Amino acid sequence: MEEKNLTERESLELIAQMIRNTQNKLQERSGVPLLVWGYTTVIVALVVWFMISWTGDYSWNYLWFMITVVGGSYLLYSYRHRKPSVKTYIDRVLSQVWLVFGVTGFLVSVLSIFFWNMTVLFLILLLMGMATTLSGLIIQFKPLAFCGTLGALCSFGCLILSPLNSILVFALVFVVMMIIPGHILNYQGRRLNQEEHVC
Amino acid sequence: MLSELNPLLHSQLRLAVMSILLSVEEAEFVYIKEKTSATAGNLSVQLDKLNEAGYIEIEKGFAGKKPRTACRMTEKGRQAMEEYVRTLREYIHL
Repeated sequence: MEEKNLTERESLELIAQMIRNTQNKLQERSGVPLLVWGYTTVIVALVVWFMISWTGDYSWNYLWFMITVVGGSYLLYSYRHRKPSVKTYIDRVLSQVWLVFGVTGFLVSVLSIFFWNMTVLFLILLLMGMATTLSGLIIQFKPLAFCGTLGALCSFGCLILSPLNSILVFALVFVVMMIIPGHILNYQGRRLNQEEHVC
Repeated sequence: MLSELNPLLHSQLRLAVMSILLSVEEAEFVYIKEKTSATAGNLSVQLDKLNEAGYIEIEKGFAGKKPRTACRMTEKGRQAMEEYVRTLREYIHL
């Protein structure tokens, strides 16, 4: 950009163009965080279910903390290797939503395993379902909002099923709530970028 | 009597920077450089001018091991942009 004299109209056009360029658009890998957390949760859930079914030892429940380890490692990695970008109001709100629900979910898990016996899978599904729904509403992405709501509603299934079967429902709900919308988000981001390059 | 256009904002690169910062909470130096196609040196000089005028805040830090410079518009900068756009409209409607 040169230091040229602008007319009044050119100034207004420049302002509009720069604002358009910073609009929060779907990127190609927008769904990656959902996929990382979704697949990690499903795999850990299935491993826990299998090991408890096979050994009868409920100590395998400690493996749930691997979700935090893997997810947290991904967050650290993506923060350190992120491309230079902008932070919009929406980015800040989304971060805060997931911080609140994520920390609450973690605390609930810790309390459940070490102190109180509570229907933790129901609580986690409800919390994550609410966070996912809110995220979908904030970014105006209907599949995410719908799948989040579905996940939150299905959480009540954990109240009526046995603890072991609840784990399978838990895994299935995360497929619906995070993995499917994550893939849709990536696909739409990829398609949007291809259309822009053609134009 | 028409108001005078703010000379600090009536410059292609500085106006582009302020327009980017108007619609976001924070933008990194490298991002602004990409969007404005400016050289690092020229952009740095213009950001310093806007910072001295109190229109933007510049924060220098690290993301991991990489240095990171982030810019944010101040309330004074926002008001200056509003005034600038209002004045532009007066000129255009003449």
